[in-house]
Amino acid sequence: MRNRIIVSIMAFAGVVCFSSAALAQAQGQEPVRPNQFGGDSDHTGPIPSVPPPAGWKACPRCQNEKDRTDANIKYKVEGHKFNPRDLSGVWGFQGVGATFRNPPPLTPWGKQQHEATIGEKNAAGESLHTKDTSGEGSGSQINCDPKGWPRLHTYNYGFEFVMLPDRVVQFFELTHTWRTIWTDGRKLPDSPTEPHWMGWTVGHWEGNTFIAESNGYEDRSWLSDTQPDGGWTHSDEMRVVERWRRLNYGTLEAQLTVIDPKTYTQPWVTPAVTIALVPGAELWENFCAPSDYNTFNNEVFLPTAGEVKK
Amino acid sequence: MRTPRALAAALAVMVEFSLLGGVVSAHHSRAGYDTDDKITTVKGIVTEFQWRNPHVYIIWSVKDDKGNVAPWTGEFSSPSTMLSEGLSKSTFKVGDEIAITFIPARAGTPQGLVIKIVRPDGRVVIDLSQRRGLRNP
Repeated sequence: MRNRIIVSIMAFAGVVCFSSAALAQAQGQEPVRPNQFGGDSDHTGPIPSVPPPAGWKACPRCQNEKDRTDANIKYKVEGHKFNPRDLSGVWGFQGVGATFRNPPPLTPWGKQQHEATIGEKNAAGESLHTKDTSGEGSGSQINCDPKGWPRLHTYNYGFEFVMLPDRVVQFFELTHTWRTIWTDGRKLPDSPTEPHWMGWTVGHWEGNTFIAESNGYEDRSWLSDTQPDGGWTHSDEMRVVERWRRLNYGTLEAQLTVIDPKTYTQPWVTPAVTIALVPGAELWENFCAPSDYNTFNNEVFLPTAGEVKK
Repeated sequence: MRTPRALAAALAVMVEFSLLGGVVSAHHSRAGYDTDDKITTVKGIVTEFQWRNPHVYIIWSVKDDKGNVAPWTGEFSSPSTMLSEGLSKSTFKVGDEIAITFIPARAGTPQGLVIKIVRPDGRVVIDLSQRRGLRNP
């Protein structure tokens, strides 16, 4: 009985403190600088970050704001000479989490596909997107399905461009994957042999703008899982046109257009975003290891969702 | 009077509820966790600390005044994100005493999204209370 009283007290009692200073500070924090270090995931805590091993660099997301500021000074980013046709470097946070907001009208087929992504809703009425099998912390169990492109564009874990004579390679820390943008003059296939999660991609320069075009996508990937309006799907007919520009040594601009008439009635022209160079960082690994994720699902995700361990 | 003592014990466990509304905005869903006005602090002993993807988590045991021990689970963010916040895989050892502040699970299960952890000597190990995007992975 006494335990029941304690539990009841813990559940319903408490001291409610309304901190006007905290609230004002919280309100004053918006909006975050989406063009610099990204989205709503800024690392500004007063406690120092954990340094990398001597002689190594931190991963992009292992740095806090002070680390990045210090690195920009150390590597003389401001005013640094640059070649606008050289995209190489480690970039991120991307700050592009809001890329896929405000989609164009869906076709009837597209609407049907999107509704299938919504899944259950929580007590607050938020869509949990429980059909997502690759979500990093979305409202679903994680089965480590590939996120694919362009969904990987929306995560703030950093990426690296490596320029080679016949291709540009983009490495992603999240899920430890990459995609190849061929620049050897080949054309996109009219009928790709098989669907690819990252698409079939070719690139060329128009002035100082690098244009990447892709098709042949695996249609199980989503464009985004962004709450509350994410879960945007695409078909296997999707084409993506990307426009990349190096504005200065420390800033990259990216603009994506999704052309998928089977899903959307018009091309989805997303806003251009800028992405900061992180010269004090190098990519580490962030695998989606199924055994880790199973443990997480069972120990954390499912109980938190009020479900029994499986 | 036993009940007032129980009540005192319960209140000692639950240090504060504070209303910070609007500090975080969901990007990916941490939809299983309650609203920020339910922030709670519970003291206990670390029994497990898992440094792995997708999110670091800690399990700590909480003892009531009858000696009953119940495990609680606290979720952080990804290992890389936690490094930026000053946490590493060796920060906590089994047996460490901690006071852990968190947003509890909506389901009422002994789970929480970790906001702050303090050692018995008052040393703050991690404090995400002003961190934007706390609910991000």
